[in-house]
Amino acid sequence: MSGTVIRLVIGPQHPALKEPERFILELEGEQVVRAIPRIGYVHRGIEKAMESRTYIQNLYLVERVCGICSHAHSICYTQAIEELLEVEVPPRARYIRTIFAELERINSHLLWLGLIAHEVGFDTFFMYIWRDRELIMDILEELSGNRVHYAVNTIGGVRRDLDHDKASKILKRLEIIEERIKRYIPMLEREQTLLKRTLGIGPLSQIDAIKYGAVGPMARASGVKRDVRKDDPYAAYDELSFNIITLDDGDCFSRIMIRAYEILESIEIIRESLSKLPDGEIRVKVKLAVPPSEALSRVEAPRGELIHYARSNGTDKPERYKIRAPTLANLATFSKILVGAYLADVPVILAGIDPCFSCMDRMQIIDLEKNEKNIWTIEDLRRYAREWYQRR
Amino acid sequence: MHITIEALKNIFKKASTEKYPIQKKIPEEYRGRLIWIMEKCVGCSLCARVCPVKAIQITGKGKEAIITYFLDRCIYCAQCVDSCNVKAIEITREFEFADYDKSQMKYVYAR
Amino acid sequence: MVSETLTFLTQILIFPGFIFIIILSFFSEWYVRKLTGKIQNRIGPSYTGVSGILQPIADFIKLLRKEDIVPSTADKLITTIVPILYFSLPLASFSMVPMTNPQALIYFEGDLIFLIFIFTLITSLIFLGGYFSGSIFSIMGSVRAATQLLGYKIPLVFSLLLPAIPASSFSLTEIVEWQQNNLWMIWLQPIGFAVLFTCMLAELEITPFDIPEAETEIVAGWSTEFSGAKLALIRLGKNIQLLLASSLISTLYLGGPEQVWIIPPILILLLKIFLVISLIVFIKNVIARFRIDQVLSGMWKYLIPATIIQFLLIKIMLGV
Repeated sequence: MSGTVIRLVIGPQHPALKEPERFILELEGEQVVRAIPRIGYVHRGIEKAMESRTYIQNLYLVERVCGICSHAHSICYTQAIEELLEVEVPPRARYIRTIFAELERINSHLLWLGLIAHEVGFDTFFMYIWRDRELIMDILEELSGNRVHYAVNTIGGVRRDLDHDKASKILKRLEIIEERIKRYIPMLEREQTLLKRTLGIGPLSQIDAIKYGAVGPMARASGVKRDVRKDDPYAAYDELSFNIITLDDGDCFSRIMIRAYEILESIEIIRESLSKLPDGEIRVKVKLAVPPSEALSRVEAPRGELIHYARSNGTDKPERYKIRAPTLANLATFSKILVGAYLADVPVILAGIDPCFSCMDRMQIIDLEKNEKNIWTIEDLRRYAREWYQRR
Repeated sequence: MHITIEALKNIFKKASTEKYPIQKKIPEEYRGRLIWIMEKCVGCSLCARVCPVKAIQITGKGKEAIITYFLDRCIYCAQCVDSCNVKAIEITREFEFADYDKSQMKYVYAR
Repeated sequence: MVSETLTFLTQILIFPGFIFIIILSFFSEWYVRKLTGKIQNRIGPSYTGVSGILQPIADFIKLLRKEDIVPSTADKLITTIVPILYFSLPLASFSMVPMTNPQALIYFEGDLIFLIFIFTLITSLIFLGGYFSGSIFSIMGSVRAATQLLGYKIPLVFSLLLPAIPASSFSLTEIVEWQQNNLWMIWLQPIGFAVLFTCMLAELEITPFDIPEAETEIVAGWSTEFSGAKLALIRLGKNIQLLLASSLISTLYLGGPEQVWIIPPILILLLKIFLVISLIVFIKNVIARFRIDQVLSGMWKYLIPATIIQFLLIKIMLGV
């Protein structure tokens, strides 16, 4: 089965990928010997677009960076702008932001659990998980008015309040979710075919996870205790008690289990923040005269650490805005974990990092061999193109 | 084995999905199409300025203002509702607006 | 003579022949989809006809009307022949399966071996169709189909031939007659039934053995490049194969068509067929997909020894 190397191109359009992105796999028989990711298919120029919109308008643009972690992006954006403005957010607003962030984490993790079941050809489990995800989507819709883009954050607080009625609704639904997740965990642990397809697949050791800069559940599944919620608390996380869950194996199975456990932890966080929910204002009136300054804000998005950077120049529009999505940090690990895998495992591994390409895509080249990242200017790109064509 | 039991149970359970166009479920606070109450509007054009997608066009000033609302551009963020000082904009729960012709997807409000 | 020929023609073409089988295969697709929906807590097809019963036919007609695209790298002749044979071979072999009474329309000593030959031919068709489609996904799919064949073919042939030992005949008709005089084969050789069932899942490319068309890995596998009328025929062929496989299981191991009280044999056979289909659908829905190397090693490690043990057991039982 060796000798000839087949180049199989996965993507930009491929059923394993929910978004357009290209991976060139060099196969020997069924085994991958080299994997080359090519990013940039969903580059939408959002950072540039943000420079030509006002701070209020950007609130809704930044939500649309990603469809699933929209609240994480908007929380990160508002934090950066609030830092520029030196505004203190009222405690009730901070708690409501936390509740939304955790509901979104449950939503995202459930979505991913369903997808991984679909990747291993386990469609029934996918349907069950997505049925339960619908409960979370319904809560979010009832709280915010929309299923995906909640538009709940605003600069200086939140736009929608939680009353007692809605809080009890959340708690009731959470109970159902908790019961079901607790039922699914032994199912996942004992289902033989699922175990066969995920146990020991795509392993990432703790050292490699640190070396390649993995973030979020990907790093935590490899035993790296890395969580912005604890490391650099934002919103109301410093007043809540919760655990960072880590597993040691770093294979696809522990990436599944870590998300299942994190859902349970998120449910506890929501319960605690609902019981601690302070009274008071939900937003402070802010005069949007942003002084020239710069700010960096970090948020633990469902997929990992999300970084936003803003620089203002005194006008009503940001001068420069930069987003570093967690998928970009995790993408570097592909070159490590795909090599040696069977073709049948590739979708599982690809999905295993919970990639969100639309968040990630920007003009950045990752040199996989040297593991260097550098942003190219247009001049660099021209030079590269010239050289590339000369070599052909 | 757990999933087998779950699957067996489900055969006799009611489906959790709905027959969409026949059954609909819209929550109380849904952000749908916007309507302008022109009696309250003072024509300050603040809504047009805050709109992130330029879905609101305003011509004329003060009481003579004519508001054109482009449904095909609206992202239903309801920022204009928040920004309006006289509460002249209201959210409805309507959401099915698909149309073959973009030029039909606009509403004109005038006093 | 003329009337005899006419009856024979009606039997071949209408009942229980081609038209009946095609309608039944549409019905079985609807049943599969509805049951899958039920298991997954969904509704399933529900708008076309009474609770969506006409949906498979609507899908078929829709596909027939679609544009037929052949890639420039594909072999035109082979990609045209493959879907036609893929659908007509299992359809034709139905005439060898006893349907209305214990006697099949066409029967001869050794029709069981002929059926095995047809099953192998279908897999070869899959290989040909995928290999000459000119797409990397199709080639991967057909290579996988051929590799999988190495795993399941031997236990499949063994378990198909096991019922022939007590009946001492290679004819389906005589095996059915033997079962009606004695007892169902499943009671005599339960291991053989289990092996046949597993191998049929692999033959039909159903989860956990849907490796040649694993959609998240290689799109639609060997049938990626087929579209329009060809895809319609392939889908119909798949349904007929499912029907053929389950009717073979029910004739070989579950007694086939027999008269119970006043219920005609065909209804009893249909009942058995749909029981087998339900079991297949249920298993399909509670199991994840295996990997190709896991299938091969599993088949050789467990199924082949199991068939040999069954063979020895039946020899000892008959010898005593």
